[in-house]
Amino acid sequence: MNDFMIEKLDQQIDRLLRADQPGRQSDPELRELMQIAGEIALVPSPAFQTRLREELHSSAGPGQAQRETVIPPIFASSSLTFPMNGSRLALSFGLHVIALALIATSGWWVVENRQVVRMKVAELVPGNDDYLLPVAPGKIGGGGGGGDRDKMDASHGTAPRFTAQQLTPPLAVVRNQNPALPAEPSLVGPPDLVLPQSDRLGDPMASVLNPPSNGPGNGGGIGSGEGGGIGSGKGPGMGEGYGGGIGGGIYRVGGGVSAPRPIYDPDPEYSEEARKAKFQGTVMLSAIIGPDGRPRDLRVLRSVGMGLDQKALDAVWKWRFAPAMKNSQPVSVQVSIEVAFRLY
Amino acid sequence: LKATEHEAEERRLIEAARTDPARFAEIYEANFARVYAFVARRVPGREEAEDITAEVFHQALAGLAGFEWRGTPFIAWLLGIASNLVARRWKGAVAAQTEVPVDEMELATNSEEAERQALFAQLLRRLPEDQCHVLERRFFEQRSIREIAQEMGRSEGAVKQLQFRALETLRSQIRDRHE
Repeated sequence: MNDFMIEKLDQQIDRLLRADQPGRQSDPELRELMQIAGEIALVPSPAFQTRLREELHSSAGPGQAQRETVIPPIFASSSLTFPMNGSRLALSFGLHVIALALIATSGWWVVENRQVVRMKVAELVPGNDDYLLPVAPGKIGGGGGGGDRDKMDASHGTAPRFTAQQLTPPLAVVRNQNPALPAEPSLVGPPDLVLPQSDRLGDPMASVLNPPSNGPGNGGGIGSGEGGGIGSGKGPGMGEGYGGGIGGGIYRVGGGVSAPRPIYDPDPEYSEEARKAKFQGTVMLSAIIGPDGRPRDLRVLRSVGMGLDQKALDAVWKWRFAPAMKNSQPVSVQVSIEVAFRLY
Repeated sequence: LKATEHEAEERRLIEAARTDPARFAEIYEANFARVYAFVARRVPGREEAEDITAEVFHQALAGLAGFEWRGTPFIAWLLGIASNLVARRWKGAVAAQTEVPVDEMELATNSEEAERQALFAQLLRRLPEDQCHVLERRFFEQRSIREIAQEMGRSEGAVKQLQFRALETLRSQIRDRHE
């Protein structure tokens, strides 16, 4: 075979290896050699055989589970790829683009509408319910007070039972352990008035639990007032007033009583149920804001459901207020709180 | 009798590989040539043939627990997987996922093809070293004449001559076997 034929043979082998169909050969010798070349092209490479053996060995070993969880490359062509579905790939790509656009624009919207978002914060309004009787315009009737000039405020506890006549005033700290004539402590008031009882006597309105103290008042009893009662009033009763029974209580805003002012009011959360239903509404709550600025006795006056009532209660429970003032003294007041839930 | 022994041996190998996947290597060694022969004659390029062959064995390894004897040899199951992958290659990704059955005639043809490939692989190894080197680089690694010439430090003409002589030697050896 001459050089021309050798060159032609090489060209045909080139086409064979490029997976082009080699042209039909008129020369019988060249045709025969190309048949041999075709057979060699089908012989597996020993390197591939070894590589696949090792690959299967590692797949069969501890790494098998790991291989099954490998995410196949999208565009690469290898034994690890799976058939690529063009339309699904395009759909997935489109959904991802939309999701990213929504995330980006929602962030921008919140920044631009910061004030609008804040508007869903609850609003404090004057109470318009009949939860409590109006405060008497004059001095509050009933009540009592006491103490034994302790340096500490009266400690928290329960009041003794009410009797028509007081034999012994209540004491949080009993100074005389062996009295000549022991008698049950009591407060003067209607005997059928029953309050929660316990072994620990004290001022039910006091916030200090320990140490036990009869308070800075005088005349026996517990509190900052005078007489053998409990509280800041005068006499053998309980509360701010005088003369026995129960006095004092909760004020309402107006008539010399200032409104409490929220000083810490985190926004309520939206319930998942209401958010999904795109539900909006206003929950009306009733609360007593104590002299310490903490809300208590929270109640739902107007419910909207969808889990928003509980979200409103959870939020307002965390609020703190500058307390309502009467005669420059912090007092408990009854207020209504509107918690408006709005979606923008 | 020989067929029965072969089937018993296959069953033993498969059961062993089911309990210990590391024993799949024996199944691979026993069936590689036939799977490659089947695939290589149905796809145009070496790279594609290697990819599909590898996928056949990976799928077989993963699905060995679900393999059931249906009265056909194990190689029929492997060639069924190969046939499915080749069909998918030609028809696109939406081709049927079902196993493509391989009939007895195809099995016989495949056996002959594998034997023929084994023969050429054997003859290739018996060639003079430089001729064998040129054919391996040219056909297995798909290198160009220029690359091989640079690697061997010879002229391109000399490498083409070696390629020609190697094919001529193989032709004469095949002729000798037929005579």
